Amino acid sequence: MRFIRLTVVVMALAAGAAAYAHHSFAAEFLEDQTRTIEGTVTEVWFKNPHVRYYIDITNDDGEPESWDVRGSSPTILVRRGWTPKTIQEGDRITVHGHLGRDGRKLMSWIYVELEDGTRLGSEY
Amino acid sequence: MRINTAIILLAFCAGPVVANPAMEGDWMLEIVPTGAPIIGLLEVEPNGDNWEAFVEGGPAPVHIDGDSITVDIDSRDIRGFVFVLKLDGHLEGGKLSGSYTVESEAEVSFSPGTWSATRYTPEARPTKPAPVDLSGIWKPAAGVDMRKYSMDLTPAAKSWHDGYLMHYDQPNVRCISPGIVAMVAWGGYPFEVLESENRLTFLYEVDSEVRRIFLDDSEAPEFYPGSGMGYSTGRWEDSQLVVETTHLVPNVRDFRGEPVSENARLEEVYSLSEDGQRLNAVITLHDPENYERPPIRRRAWTRDPDTEIYPYECDPDSFYRQMYNENRLDMYFERSKRRF
Repeated sequence: MRFIRLTVVVMALAAGAAAYAHHSFAAEFLEDQTRTIEGTVTEVWFKNPHVRYYIDITNDDGEPESWDVRGSSPTILVRRGWTPKTIQEGDRITVHGHLGRDGRKLMSWIYVELEDGTRLGSEY
Repeated sequence: MRINTAIILLAFCAGPVVANPAMEGDWMLEIVPTGAPIIGLLEVEPNGDNWEAFVEGGPAPVHIDGDSITVDIDSRDIRGFVFVLKLDGHLEGGKLSGSYTVESEAEVSFSPGTWSATRYTPEARPTKPAPVDLSGIWKPAAGVDMRKYSMDLTPAAKSWHDGYLMHYDQPNVRCISPGIVAMVAWGGYPFEVLESENRLTFLYEVDSEVRRIFLDDSEAPEFYPGSGMGYSTGRWEDSQLVVETTHLVPNVRDFRGEPVSENARLEEVYSLSEDGQRLNAVITLHDPENYERPPIRRRAWTRDPDTEIYPYECDPDSFYRQMYNENRLDMYFERSKRRF
Protein backbone atom coordinates (compact mmCIF):
# COMPACT_ATOMS: atom_id res chain seq x y z
CA MET A 1 0.00 0.00 0.00
CA ARG A 2 2.80 2.34 0.88
CA PHE A 3 4.42 1.61 -2.48
CA ILE A 4 1.22 2.51 -4.29
CA ARG A 5 0.94 5.79 -2.47
CA LEU A 6 4.52 6.66 -3.22
CA THR A 7 3.99 5.86 -6.87
CA VAL A 8 1.02 8.18 -7.02
CA VAL A 9 2.92 11.02 -5.39
CA VAL A 10 5.91 10.60 -7.69
CA MET A 11 3.75 10.51 -10.76
CA ALA A 12 2.15 13.73 -9.69
CA LEU A 13 5.53 15.44 -9.44
CA ALA A 14 5.90 15.13 -13.17
CA ALA A 15 2.29 16.03 -13.86
CA GLY A 16 2.59 19.64 -12.73
CA ALA A 17 4.94 20.77 -15.44
CA ALA A 18 2.83 19.28 -18.16
CA ALA A 19 -0.45 20.55 -16.76
CA TYR A 20 -0.36 23.81 -18.63
CA ALA A 21 1.49 22.65 -21.67
CA HIS A 22 -1.29 23.76 -23.95
CA HIS A 23 -3.23 26.34 -21.99
CA SER A 24 -2.02 29.58 -20.61
CA PHE A 25 -1.98 29.31 -16.84
CA ALA A 26 -0.93 32.95 -16.72
CA ALA A 27 -4.19 34.04 -18.35
CA GLU A 28 -6.30 32.72 -15.50
CA PHE A 29 -4.22 32.31 -12.36
CA LEU A 30 -2.02 34.39 -10.11
CA GLU A 31 1.44 32.91 -9.98
CA ASP A 32 2.38 34.61 -6.71
CA GLN A 33 -0.81 34.10 -4.70
CA THR A 34 -1.59 30.73 -3.17
CA ARG A 35 -4.09 29.51 -0.61
CA THR A 36 -5.11 26.29 1.11
CA ILE A 37 -8.78 25.30 1.28
CA GLU A 38 -10.53 22.25 2.69
CA GLY A 39 -13.93 21.00 1.66
CA THR A 40 -16.22 18.27 0.38
CA VAL A 41 -16.18 17.18 -3.24
CA THR A 42 -19.55 17.83 -4.90
CA GLU A 43 -18.62 16.96 -8.47
CA VAL A 44 -15.80 15.17 -10.21
CA TRP A 45 -14.97 16.41 -13.73
CA PHE A 46 -12.40 13.96 -15.01
CA LYS A 47 -12.30 15.16 -18.61
CA ASN A 48 -10.22 17.29 -20.92
CA PRO A 49 -9.20 19.99 -21.27
CA HIS A 50 -8.43 19.79 -17.54
CA VAL A 51 -9.50 17.67 -14.59
CA ARG A 52 -11.64 19.64 -12.15
CA TYR A 53 -13.12 19.02 -8.75
CA TYR A 54 -15.95 21.20 -7.52
CA ILE A 55 -15.81 21.46 -3.75
CA ASP A 56 -17.91 23.13 -1.07
CA ILE A 57 -15.99 24.83 1.70
CA THR A 58 -16.81 27.02 4.69
CA ASN A 59 -14.94 30.32 4.49
CA ASP A 60 -13.31 32.21 7.34
CA ASP A 61 -16.63 34.00 8.05
CA GLY A 62 -18.44 30.70 8.43
CA GLU A 63 -20.26 31.06 5.12
CA PRO A 64 -20.50 28.33 2.44
CA GLU A 65 -18.60 28.76 -0.80
CA SER A 66 -18.28 26.59 -3.88
CA TRP A 67 -14.84 26.36 -5.52
CA ASP A 68 -13.63 25.06 -8.85
CA VAL A 69 -10.17 23.46 -8.45
CA ARG A 70 -8.23 22.33 -11.49
CA GLY A 71 -5.24 20.29 -12.46
CA SER A 72 -3.78 18.46 -15.37
CA SER A 73 -5.17 16.59 -18.35
CA PRO A 74 -6.74 13.17 -17.61
CA THR A 75 -4.39 11.30 -19.92
CA ILE A 76 -1.37 12.75 -18.19
CA LEU A 77 -2.78 11.86 -14.76
CA VAL A 78 -4.00 8.34 -15.51
CA ARG A 79 -0.65 7.35 -17.01
CA ARG A 80 0.75 7.80 -13.55
CA GLY A 81 -2.08 6.22 -11.59
CA TRP A 82 -4.38 9.15 -10.75
CA THR A 83 -7.74 7.89 -11.98
CA PRO A 84 -11.37 9.07 -11.79
CA LYS A 85 -11.74 6.86 -8.69
CA THR A 86 -8.86 8.47 -6.80
CA ILE A 87 -11.13 11.30 -5.58
CA GLN A 88 -14.90 10.86 -5.58
CA GLU A 89 -18.00 12.84 -4.67
CA GLY A 90 -18.37 13.16 -0.91
CA ASP A 91 -14.63 12.90 -0.23
CA ARG A 92 -13.07 15.49 2.03
CA ILE A 93 -9.96 16.98 0.44
CA THR A 94 -7.51 19.75 1.15
CA VAL A 95 -6.28 21.71 -1.84
CA HIS A 96 -3.30 24.04 -1.97
CA GLY A 97 -2.83 26.04 -5.13
CA HIS A 98 -2.71 29.23 -7.12
CA LEU A 99 -5.71 31.53 -6.88
CA GLY A 100 -7.72 32.59 -9.90
CA ARG A 101 -7.49 36.15 -11.15
CA ASP A 102 -10.04 38.82 -10.21
CA GLY A 103 -11.06 37.17 -6.95
CA ARG A 104 -12.77 34.23 -8.65
CA LYS A 105 -13.29 31.06 -6.61
CA LEU A 106 -10.96 29.23 -8.86
CA MET A 107 -7.79 27.38 -7.95
CA SER A 108 -5.02 25.58 -9.82
CA TRP A 109 -3.72 22.94 -7.50
CA ILE A 110 -0.13 22.55 -6.45
CA TYR A 111 -1.19 19.57 -4.37
CA VAL A 112 -4.34 17.81 -3.25
CA GLU A 113 -4.33 16.04 0.12
CA LEU A 114 -6.72 13.15 0.73
CA GLU A 115 -8.38 12.39 4.05
CA ASP A 116 -5.81 9.71 4.87
CA GLY A 117 -2.99 12.21 4.42
CA THR A 118 -1.87 11.08 0.97
CA ARG A 119 -0.64 14.11 -0.91
CA LEU A 120 -1.00 14.20 -4.69
CA GLY A 121 0.87 16.73 -6.73
CA SER A 122 3.83 18.97 -6.31
CA GLU A 123 5.13 22.39 -7.03
CA TYR A 124 6.04 22.97 -10.63
CA MET B 1 40.54 72.92 -15.37
CA ARG B 2 36.94 73.48 -16.14
CA ILE B 3 34.72 70.45 -15.81
CA ASN B 4 33.45 70.70 -19.39
CA THR B 5 36.98 70.74 -20.75
CA ALA B 6 37.86 67.71 -18.63
CA ILE B 7 34.88 65.76 -19.99
CA ILE B 8 35.84 66.59 -23.59
CA LEU B 9 39.43 65.51 -23.01
CA LEU B 10 38.33 62.32 -21.31
CA ALA B 11 36.02 61.48 -24.18
CA PHE B 12 38.80 62.17 -26.67
CA CYS B 13 41.21 59.87 -24.82
CA ALA B 14 38.65 57.08 -24.56
CA GLY B 15 38.10 57.13 -28.32
CA PRO B 16 34.86 56.52 -30.15
CA VAL B 17 32.89 53.40 -29.33
CA VAL B 18 32.81 51.21 -32.43
CA ALA B 19 30.89 47.99 -32.66
CA ASN B 20 32.90 45.12 -33.97
CA PRO B 21 31.54 44.32 -37.45
CA ALA B 22 32.44 40.68 -36.81
CA MET B 23 29.30 40.53 -34.68
CA GLU B 24 27.14 40.76 -37.78
CA GLY B 25 25.53 37.61 -39.11
CA ASP B 26 23.78 34.47 -37.97
CA TRP B 27 24.71 32.57 -34.83
CA MET B 28 23.49 29.35 -33.27
CA LEU B 29 22.79 30.27 -29.70
CA GLU B 30 22.91 27.83 -26.81
CA ILE B 31 21.64 28.77 -23.36
CA VAL B 32 22.62 26.50 -20.50
CA PRO B 33 20.46 26.70 -17.39
CA THR B 34 20.52 24.14 -14.57
CA GLY B 35 18.28 21.83 -16.62
CA ALA B 36 18.32 20.89 -20.28
CA PRO B 37 19.94 23.44 -22.66
CA ILE B 38 17.86 25.44 -25.11
CA ILE B 39 19.00 26.58 -28.52
CA GLY B 40 17.95 29.13 -31.10
CA LEU B 41 18.97 31.14 -34.12
CA LEU B 42 20.43 34.57 -33.27
CA GLU B 43 20.54 37.05 -36.17
CA VAL B 44 22.58 40.23 -35.68
CA GLU B 45 22.26 42.99 -38.27
CA PRO B 46 23.30 46.62 -38.62
CA ASN B 47 20.44 49.07 -38.93
CA GLY B 48 21.76 52.53 -39.80
CA ASP B 49 23.98 53.61 -36.93
CA ASN B 50 22.52 50.96 -34.66
CA TRP B 51 22.26 47.21 -34.46
CA GLU B 52 19.27 44.97 -34.21
CA ALA B 53 18.92 41.32 -33.34
CA PHE B 54 16.32 38.60 -33.73
CA VAL B 55 16.07 35.28 -31.93
CA GLU B 56 14.04 32.50 -33.55
CA GLY B 57 12.48 35.18 -35.76
CA GLY B 58 11.42 37.51 -32.95
CA PRO B 59 12.97 40.84 -31.95
CA ALA B 60 15.62 40.84 -29.21
CA PRO B 61 17.01 44.23 -28.13
CA VAL B 62 20.79 44.23 -28.57
CA HIS B 63 23.64 46.53 -27.56
CA ILE B 64 27.11 46.14 -29.01
CA ASP B 65 30.14 47.99 -27.72
CA GLY B 66 33.42 46.89 -29.24
CA ASP B 67 33.68 43.18 -28.54
CA SER B 68 30.98 43.27 -25.86
CA ILE B 69 27.36 42.38 -26.51
CA THR B 70 24.14 42.28 -24.52
CA VAL B 71 20.93 40.70 -25.81
CA ASP B 72 17.50 40.61 -24.13
CA ILE B 73 15.35 37.63 -25.09
CA ASP B 74 11.76 37.45 -23.93
CA SER B 75 10.57 33.92 -23.36
CA ARG B 76 7.78 32.18 -21.48
CA ASP B 77 7.62 29.18 -19.23
CA ILE B 78 5.30 26.24 -19.80
CA ARG B 79 2.53 28.01 -17.90
CA GLY B 80 2.66 31.16 -19.99
CA PHE B 81 4.54 33.43 -17.57
CA VAL B 82 6.93 35.71 -19.39
CA PHE B 83 10.56 36.23 -18.42
CA VAL B 84 13.54 37.93 -20.02
CA LEU B 85 16.89 36.27 -20.49
CA LYS B 86 19.47 39.06 -20.21
CA LEU B 87 22.57 37.89 -22.02
CA ASP B 88 25.89 39.61 -21.36
CA GLY B 89 28.97 38.43 -23.20
CA HIS B 90 31.79 39.14 -25.59
CA LEU B 91 33.33 38.04 -28.84
CA GLU B 92 36.57 36.09 -28.61
CA GLY B 93 38.15 33.71 -31.07
CA GLY B 94 35.17 33.94 -33.40
CA LYS B 95 32.77 32.78 -30.68
CA LEU B 96 30.31 34.67 -28.50
CA SER B 97 29.99 33.63 -24.89
CA GLY B 98 29.01 34.94 -21.50
CA SER B 99 26.49 34.62 -18.72
CA TYR B 100 22.84 35.56 -18.35
CA THR B 101 20.36 36.51 -15.67
CA VAL B 102 16.59 35.99 -15.60
CA GLU B 103 14.12 38.84 -15.02
CA SER B 104 10.41 38.33 -14.51
CA GLU B 105 7.48 39.76 -12.61
CA ALA B 106 6.49 36.18 -11.86
CA GLU B 107 8.45 33.50 -10.09
CA VAL B 108 9.75 31.37 -12.92
CA SER B 109 11.89 28.30 -12.40
CA PHE B 110 14.32 29.06 -15.22
CA SER B 111 17.76 29.40 -13.66
CA PRO B 112 20.57 31.83 -14.52
CA GLY B 113 23.54 30.30 -16.31
CA THR B 114 25.92 30.62 -19.20
CA TRP B 115 25.48 31.01 -22.94
CA SER B 116 27.51 30.72 -26.09
CA ALA B 117 26.98 31.21 -29.81
CA THR B 118 28.87 29.90 -32.79
CA ARG B 119 28.59 30.95 -36.42
CA TYR B 120 25.60 29.48 -38.18
CA THR B 121 25.83 28.68 -41.86
CA PRO B 122 23.01 26.60 -43.30
CA GLU B 123 24.35 23.39 -44.75
CA ALA B 124 23.61 22.50 -48.34
CA ARG B 125 20.43 20.48 -48.40
CA PRO B 126 21.09 16.92 -49.55
CA THR B 127 18.78 15.67 -52.25
CA LYS B 128 19.52 11.95 -52.12
CA PRO B 129 16.98 10.25 -49.87
CA ALA B 130 18.09 7.84 -47.16
CA PRO B 131 14.93 7.15 -45.13
CA VAL B 132 15.15 6.07 -41.52
CA ASP B 133 12.61 4.28 -39.36
CA LEU B 134 10.52 6.79 -37.40
CA SER B 135 7.76 4.35 -36.52
CA GLY B 136 6.80 4.11 -32.87
CA ILE B 137 5.56 6.26 -30.02
CA TRP B 138 7.41 9.43 -29.13
CA LYS B 139 7.13 11.33 -25.86
CA PRO B 140 8.28 14.93 -25.30
CA ALA B 141 11.82 15.57 -24.11
CA ALA B 142 12.87 18.53 -21.98
CA GLY B 143 14.64 21.65 -23.21
CA VAL B 144 15.60 22.63 -26.76
CA ASP B 145 12.85 25.17 -27.50
CA MET B 146 13.54 28.83 -26.77
CA ARG B 147 9.80 29.55 -26.45
CA LYS B 148 10.50 33.03 -27.82
CA TYR B 149 7.60 35.16 -26.73
CA SER B 150 7.31 38.13 -29.09
CA MET B 151 7.54 37.75 -32.84
CA ASP B 152 8.14 40.20 -35.67
CA LEU B 153 4.51 40.75 -36.60
CA THR B 154 3.31 42.73 -39.60
CA PRO B 155 1.29 45.88 -38.72
CA ALA B 156 -1.96 44.11 -39.63
CA ALA B 157 -1.14 41.07 -37.52
CA LYS B 158 -0.12 43.25 -34.60
CA SER B 159 -3.37 45.17 -34.81
CA TRP B 160 -5.39 41.94 -34.76
CA HIS B 161 -3.31 40.46 -31.98
CA ASP B 162 -3.69 43.54 -29.78
CA GLY B 163 -7.37 42.62 -29.42
CA TYR B 164 -6.79 38.98 -28.58
CA LEU B 165 -8.03 37.82 -25.18
CA MET B 166 -6.30 34.63 -24.30
CA HIS B 167 -8.91 32.86 -22.25
CA TYR B 168 -11.88 33.89 -24.40
CA ASP B 169 -10.30 33.27 -27.78
CA GLN B 170 -8.05 30.26 -27.26
CA PRO B 171 -9.60 27.40 -29.25
CA ASN B 172 -8.60 24.44 -27.10
CA VAL B 173 -10.24 25.70 -23.89
CA ARG B 174 -13.47 25.03 -25.83
CA CYS B 175 -12.17 21.65 -27.00
CA ILE B 176 -11.49 22.98 -30.49
CA SER B 177 -8.30 21.56 -31.94
CA PRO B 178 -5.77 24.36 -32.38
CA GLY B 179 -4.35 22.78 -35.54
CA ILE B 180 -0.93 21.57 -36.50
CA VAL B 181 0.99 24.85 -36.21
CA ALA B 182 0.32 25.12 -32.48
CA MET B 183 0.04 21.43 -31.75
CA VAL B 184 3.36 20.32 -33.19
CA ALA B 185 5.24 22.58 -30.79
CA TRP B 186 3.34 21.76 -27.61
CA GLY B 187 4.71 19.60 -24.85
CA GLY B 188 2.98 17.15 -22.61
CA TYR B 189 1.54 14.61 -25.00
CA PRO B 190 3.01 11.75 -27.05
CA PHE B 191 2.37 10.95 -30.69
CA GLU B 192 2.75 7.79 -32.76
CA VAL B 193 4.21 7.40 -36.22
CA LEU B 194 2.87 4.68 -38.51
CA GLU B 195 4.71 3.92 -41.71
CA SER B 196 3.08 2.57 -44.86
CA GLU B 197 3.88 2.72 -48.57
CA ASN B 198 4.44 6.34 -49.61
CA ARG B 199 2.77 7.59 -46.48
CA LEU B 200 3.50 8.41 -42.87
CA THR B 201 0.62 8.75 -40.43
CA PHE B 202 1.07 10.74 -37.24
CA LEU B 203 -1.42 10.02 -34.47
CA TYR B 204 -1.41 12.80 -31.91
CA GLU B 205 -2.79 12.13 -28.46
CA VAL B 206 -3.77 15.75 -27.91
CA ASP B 207 -7.16 16.35 -29.49
CA SER B 208 -6.94 12.82 -31.02
CA GLU B 209 -5.74 14.42 -34.25
CA VAL B 210 -4.63 12.34 -37.23
CA ARG B 211 -2.23 13.58 -39.83
CA ARG B 212 -1.26 11.99 -43.13
CA ILE B 213 2.06 12.90 -44.72
CA PHE B 214 2.25 11.93 -48.37
CA LEU B 215 5.71 10.92 -49.58
CA ASP B 216 4.98 10.33 -53.27
CA ASP B 217 5.04 13.92 -54.59
CA SER B 218 1.26 13.89 -54.78
CA GLU B 219 -0.50 17.22 -54.69
CA ALA B 220 -3.62 18.01 -52.78
CA PRO B 221 -6.79 17.09 -54.68
CA GLU B 222 -8.60 19.94 -56.36
CA PHE B 223 -10.85 21.82 -53.94
CA TYR B 224 -9.23 20.04 -51.00
CA PRO B 225 -10.71 21.89 -48.03
CA GLY B 226 -8.52 23.87 -45.71
CA SER B 227 -8.30 22.79 -42.08
CA GLY B 228 -6.30 23.26 -38.94
CA MET B 229 -4.21 20.21 -39.83
CA GLY B 230 -3.76 21.20 -43.49
CA TYR B 231 -2.35 19.00 -46.25
CA SER B 232 1.15 17.61 -45.66
CA THR B 233 3.73 16.28 -48.06
CA GLY B 234 7.10 14.91 -47.09
CA ARG B 235 10.45 14.08 -48.63
CA TRP B 236 13.66 12.57 -47.38
CA GLU B 237 16.76 14.69 -47.63
CA ASP B 238 19.37 12.10 -46.70
CA SER B 239 18.05 10.84 -43.37
CA GLN B 240 16.10 14.03 -42.57
CA LEU B 241 12.37 14.08 -43.10
CA VAL B 242 11.17 17.43 -44.44
CA VAL B 243 7.43 17.99 -44.16
CA GLU B 244 5.61 20.89 -45.76
CA THR B 245 2.03 21.71 -44.86
CA THR B 246 -0.36 23.99 -46.73
CA HIS B 247 -4.18 24.22 -47.02
CA LEU B 248 -4.40 25.67 -43.54
CA VAL B 249 -7.20 27.88 -42.25
CA PRO B 250 -6.82 31.11 -40.27
CA ASN B 251 -5.74 30.13 -36.79
CA VAL B 252 -3.41 31.00 -33.93
CA ARG B 253 0.24 30.02 -33.74
CA ASP B 254 0.41 29.39 -30.02
CA PHE B 255 -1.74 30.08 -27.00
CA ARG B 256 -0.43 33.62 -27.05
CA GLY B 257 -2.70 34.05 -30.04
CA GLU B 258 -0.52 35.36 -32.85
CA PRO B 259 -2.36 34.76 -36.13
CA VAL B 260 -1.70 32.23 -38.88
CA SER B 261 -3.14 32.95 -42.34
CA GLU B 262 -4.71 30.50 -44.75
CA ASN B 263 -1.77 31.05 -47.09
CA ALA B 264 0.80 30.02 -44.51
CA ARG B 265 3.24 27.19 -45.11
CA LEU B 266 4.64 25.16 -42.21
CA GLU B 267 7.99 23.45 -42.65
CA GLU B 268 9.17 20.79 -40.23
CA VAL B 269 12.58 19.13 -40.47
CA TYR B 270 12.85 15.93 -38.45
CA SER B 271 16.16 14.25 -37.68
CA LEU B 272 16.79 11.04 -35.79
CA SER B 273 19.72 10.50 -33.44
CA GLU B 274 22.29 7.88 -34.38
CA ASP B 275 20.95 5.45 -31.78
CA GLY B 276 17.41 5.97 -33.11
CA GLN B 277 16.06 6.93 -29.69
CA ARG B 278 15.72 10.71 -29.99
CA LEU B 279 13.81 12.68 -32.58
CA ASN B 280 14.50 16.38 -33.13
CA ALA B 281 12.49 18.86 -35.13
CA VAL B 282 13.02 22.40 -36.37
CA ILE B 283 9.63 23.96 -37.10
CA THR B 284 9.41 27.11 -39.22
CA LEU B 285 6.25 29.00 -40.07
CA HIS B 286 6.36 30.86 -43.38
CA ASP B 287 3.54 33.37 -43.28
CA PRO B 288 4.52 36.78 -44.71
CA GLU B 289 0.97 38.08 -44.26
CA ASN B 290 1.53 38.00 -40.52
CA TYR B 291 5.27 37.78 -39.84
CA GLU B 292 8.14 39.90 -41.14
CA ARG B 293 10.43 36.97 -40.24
CA PRO B 294 9.44 33.33 -39.96
CA PRO B 295 8.93 32.19 -36.34
CA ILE B 296 10.99 29.13 -35.43
CA ARG B 297 10.21 26.47 -32.83
CA ARG B 298 12.32 23.45 -31.88
CA ARG B 299 11.20 20.25 -30.27
CA ALA B 300 12.64 16.91 -29.22
CA TRP B 301 11.07 13.58 -28.31
CA THR B 302 12.35 10.24 -27.10
CA ARG B 303 11.00 6.80 -27.90
CA ASP B 304 8.54 5.39 -25.41
CA PRO B 305 7.69 1.77 -26.15
CA ASP B 306 5.94 1.42 -22.79
CA THR B 307 2.88 3.51 -23.51
CA GLU B 308 0.05 3.78 -26.02
CA ILE B 309 -1.79 6.75 -27.46
CA TYR B 310 -4.67 7.37 -25.09
CA PRO B 311 -8.09 8.68 -26.13
CA TYR B 312 -8.53 12.41 -25.68
CA GLU B 313 -12.13 12.99 -24.71
CA CYS B 314 -12.84 16.67 -24.31
CA ASP B 315 -15.98 18.35 -23.02
CA PRO B 316 -16.35 22.14 -23.38
CA ASP B 317 -19.07 22.27 -20.72
CA SER B 318 -16.62 23.36 -18.08
CA PHE B 319 -15.55 26.37 -20.16
CA TYR B 320 -19.09 27.55 -20.81
CA ARG B 321 -20.15 26.83 -17.25
CA GLN B 322 -17.44 29.12 -15.97
CA MET B 323 -18.44 31.85 -18.42
CA TYR B 324 -22.07 31.46 -17.36
CA ASN B 325 -21.30 31.50 -13.65
CA GLU B 326 -19.22 34.62 -14.04
CA ASN B 327 -21.75 36.42 -16.28
CA ARG B 328 -19.24 36.54 -19.12
CA LEU B 329 -21.14 34.55 -21.73
CA ASP B 330 -22.38 37.71 -23.47
CA MET B 331 -18.86 38.97 -23.82
CA TYR B 332 -17.75 35.62 -25.13
CA PHE B 333 -20.37 35.58 -27.88
CA GLU B 334 -19.87 39.24 -28.72
CA ARG B 335 -16.34 38.26 -29.68
CA SER B 336 -17.43 35.48 -32.04
CA LYS B 337 -16.81 37.44 -35.24
CA ARG B 338 -13.17 38.12 -34.47
CA ARG B 339 -12.47 34.58 -33.31
CA PHE B 340 -10.99 32.04 -35.72
